[in-house]
Amino acid sequence: MTDKRNYGDPLEKLMNQLAESVLGLSDAAILAETSEAGADPEQEAERTRSVLRRASEVLENVNGRLSNLGHTINSNGWYRGRSGYHSTCVACGSFVSFTTATGEMRGEALDGLCPESDQYTIRRLEASRE
Amino acid sequence: MAHFLPYPEPPEPPLPPPRSINASRKSALLVENDSSLLHIFRRSLKDEGYTVRTAANSKEGLRLYRDFAPFNLVLIDYFVPQSKEVEIDLLAELQTNGTALATAIRETNPSQGMVIAALDYRNAGEVPRPRELMHIPVLVAIRQLRSLLEKIEVDRAIEALTPSELLRLQRSADFRVQGLGRAARGRTGEDLLQEAELRTLIGAEDTQKGRHWNKDVDIERHLTEAMRSISNCWKRQFKEMEAYLMSDFLIHDAEEQEHSPLDNVASGHKAADQRLIEKDEEERVLSKFKDDPEATQVLHGLLDGLKKNEIMSKYGLGEKQYAAAVKRIRVTLLGPRNGGGERRKT
Repeated sequence: MTDKRNYGDPLEKLMNQLAESVLGLSDAAILAETSEAGADPEQEAERTRSVLRRASEVLENVNGRLSNLGHTINSNGWYRGRSGYHSTCVACGSFVSFTTATGEMRGEALDGLCPESDQYTIRRLEASRE
Repeated sequence: MAHFLPYPEPPEPPLPPPRSINASRKSALLVENDSSLLHIFRRSLKDEGYTVRTAANSKEGLRLYRDFAPFNLVLIDYFVPQSKEVEIDLLAELQTNGTALATAIRETNPSQGMVIAALDYRNAGEVPRPRELMHIPVLVAIRQLRSLLEKIEVDRAIEALTPSELLRLQRSADFRVQGLGRAARGRTGEDLLQEAELRTLIGAEDTQKGRHWNKDVDIERHLTEAMRSISNCWKRQFKEMEAYLMSDFLIHDAEEQEHSPLDNVASGHKAADQRLIEKDEEERVLSKFKDDPEATQVLHGLLDGLKKNEIMSKYGLGEKQYAAAVKRIRVTLLGPRNGGGERRKT
């Protein structure tokens, strides 16, 4: 695998080449290399898995809290800003943001129940009429 | 809270997640007694590529689960009856067969991806459920289904990653962030990895909103591509607003006199201050290999933008020598992530 857009300064190119070379390593080779570097491959792998789990949990927490308050955020309605991700409730328009590093959430959407929460909800009876 | 399942059985050991979600068609267990909702959910799941088994009550749902698990997804209506002999009473409080079934499945397989549909509620916070089910997504509007499915699939794929796949992801992330230099702005490889996953979960089409995961591509490759794109984006953003403090560059001589090295750098195409920082970084990396001539040669070649064959030819290195030198460079630059490796915050 090569980096087709391998532009940038020499050090960046070097590090990107090394990143690509890691991806080309076989399973046995990456495990051996990690051991050689003085780390426990299993422990390090699980640590990476927990890093990935955390990212998912942060988003789940935000979505869960907003859902509990009846706010409606489109899943692809999050925008990346300098201070994290931000979005607005499609029903009431209130603002919310969060950061991945700390999981911190902010915004008026977290202050209370969505006043327009009924507007976009399809109830069982409505669905049953379809 | 009432539990209506009549036959508690001892929990079985957790089932491992299927190795690859691409290897076979995705499967879902749908437990729904309302025929209209059953139709809607089944159609939605089929549209998302699931083969669907259906049950109309919690007893039948548990039987199907025990016979055919693991499923990629279990979708349970909160209000399903206990069995076909028992009529559901929508007016009864704490009609919790759906959550009882979810609890039983969770005891069998704690990592089973599940969604509880509770369309009679305005929001998930109103849905009474036991503490152990609080982390399970609750669907209060049908249009939420797609994003919940996406999240469950990403979570499953993460759980199915092997140690070597995880190590490749982390190490390539670490190198990419090191390559950013000051543009990393304190971010680490872990931050890059999390960002790639988060944008996948958000799942839109571009880097401003998210990165849709095409399921024909495995998650390792998808995250790798996402990290490449995100790190390039971070670099571009940094360059657009780059500014340095003079104090970043001042050096002090033996007499404690301040000097600016910029005075001796010629202005050229690239900003002199920027090139100076890059040069300093290159020297810092090279200094780690001063006792390793082959690694130094390979580094010089890579810094000059040469390809593998060009480096081997220029310095007379064989394939094995080159590979060994690159390996030593990787091991030295990253090292163990809990110890003396190069995990500095830029």
